[in-house]
Amino acid sequence: MAGIKMLSPDRKRALRVLENRLGGRLLTHLNSCVHCGLCGKSCHYYLKYGDPRFIPGNKVDQISRLYRRYFSPLGRILPAWVGARDLDEETIEEMVDVLFGGCTMCGRCSVHCSIGVDVPFLVRTARTMLMELGLVPKGLQSTIDTSVNTGNNMAIPQKELVDTLEWLEEDLRMEVGDESAAIPLDKAGQRLLYTLNPREPKFFPLSISAVAKIMYAAGESWTISTHCYDVTNYAFLSGDDEAARGLAGRLCDEVMKLKAEQLLLAECGHGFRAIRWEGPTWFGKAYPYPVLSVVELIAEYVRSGLIRLDPSLNAERVTLHDPCNLVRAGGVIEEQRYVLARAASDFVEMSPNRVDNYCCGGGGGQLSMGEYRDRRIEAGEIKADQIRRTGARMVATPCHNCIDQLMELNQVYELNVEIKTVAEIVADALVLGKQEN
Amino acid sequence: MPKLEIDGREFEVDGDGFLQEPDVWNEDVARLFAAGDGTGEMTEKHWAVVRYIREYWKENDMAPMVRKVCQSTGLRLREIYQLFPMGPAKGACKIAGLPKPDGCV
Repeated sequence: MAGIKMLSPDRKRALRVLENRLGGRLLTHLNSCVHCGLCGKSCHYYLKYGDPRFIPGNKVDQISRLYRRYFSPLGRILPAWVGARDLDEETIEEMVDVLFGGCTMCGRCSVHCSIGVDVPFLVRTARTMLMELGLVPKGLQSTIDTSVNTGNNMAIPQKELVDTLEWLEEDLRMEVGDESAAIPLDKAGQRLLYTLNPREPKFFPLSISAVAKIMYAAGESWTISTHCYDVTNYAFLSGDDEAARGLAGRLCDEVMKLKAEQLLLAECGHGFRAIRWEGPTWFGKAYPYPVLSVVELIAEYVRSGLIRLDPSLNAERVTLHDPCNLVRAGGVIEEQRYVLARAASDFVEMSPNRVDNYCCGGGGGQLSMGEYRDRRIEAGEIKADQIRRTGARMVATPCHNCIDQLMELNQVYELNVEIKTVAEIVADALVLGKQEN
Repeated sequence: MPKLEIDGREFEVDGDGFLQEPDVWNEDVARLFAAGDGTGEMTEKHWAVVRYIREYWKENDMAPMVRKVCQSTGLRLREIYQLFPMGPAKGACKIAGLPKPDGCV
């Protein structure tokens, strides 16, 4: 049986990823699965296909069997005895297919796990190993490369962004009938630095208009940087810590440069997770300023009476899809429903919801990995059924990635719904003008 | 390479259904794509959007910002979303034969 020394340099590097991280956290999660099987029915891939490779416990085993093979005394001597496995062609192929192509790192399995194994953490570690082998799927890698090289994941030239934001500003002025309404660009010393998902200025700017209108109604002091604004972090999804740290770091530098008091993140699940919660680990220190989601800010505006909403302006039935990274992993759970219950007259929950919600099927970078598109849509059927059962005509979700997946599910499963950000629904319910109290 | 068959014609496409060889595109291909993705029949407004995107892409090697599509065609933003239920990227750009853009689309 070949040891590490006999492996090719890239496979050695992959195992070194594991070796370098063998601290308390990784060891605990690698060694804790008791194979109770409770996780199976929590996973939308396993529920859809019934393929045992998709049972989260077996996903855990894909990495723990490598740990046992190369780093445990018994596994080195008697690999078959402890279910250890060589890092060979077949193992690697299965890892790519299941851990990139059959997992959205949604974390629903961890909630259902009898002992709380952090499955997405292990899957992400395995993805880092696969990155060392050069096996990150092409579309995911090119999205990361585009972010690193051009400053945003769609390679939008700065002038194009500025022209679009100015165009939206004109529109805002017409809509609110006030020439002083603004989308402030690169303005130093504002309270909030707001970020964008590049797909907003490129293809779906109504969500920017919505946030701008809410900011206007609240009289907020805010700005968008036209140099550095991309809230996404696909490197978090591929397991590339160095690139992920770089991308998050750029935004943090921009907060300091523009002397903003807070960093305000757009409706983006994985971006919120990466920047708000993973950033401090990557940087080795806490942020010196608050980092919050725009959904939290809007909830605060509503609570404090800073903005006024008329729910009758959204009369159709609205339901809410909880993005995994914002809700289950990010802890922003009640704010969006608090807001929607006041912005729409017929808000209903889908079931299950909150931390038990099913992934839309597009998480974990799936939307950028075209080779798994059919699986993504098929595994998304559970979400489509959840939506259909609510009878809603509109689905709100505070995540642009979820929105894109839901748009496809809407077409394939003929749900006949509209899909919007939370801010868009709030903006439609805004009552402008003098506060009565 | 996956193949997409529409009305007996086969096209090489990526996993998301975007055309692999942009040069095989013509207006018949656009009609077939539109019929297959829920866009339906191509009206003059659809053509204005698709032709502009196609021309812009040939010159700049990237899809235009949706603002430019609005400004050049005179259509309002909300009209674009009504014309192309899959949106400007997975709808209009795909029908115009462009490769899939990076990012959350």
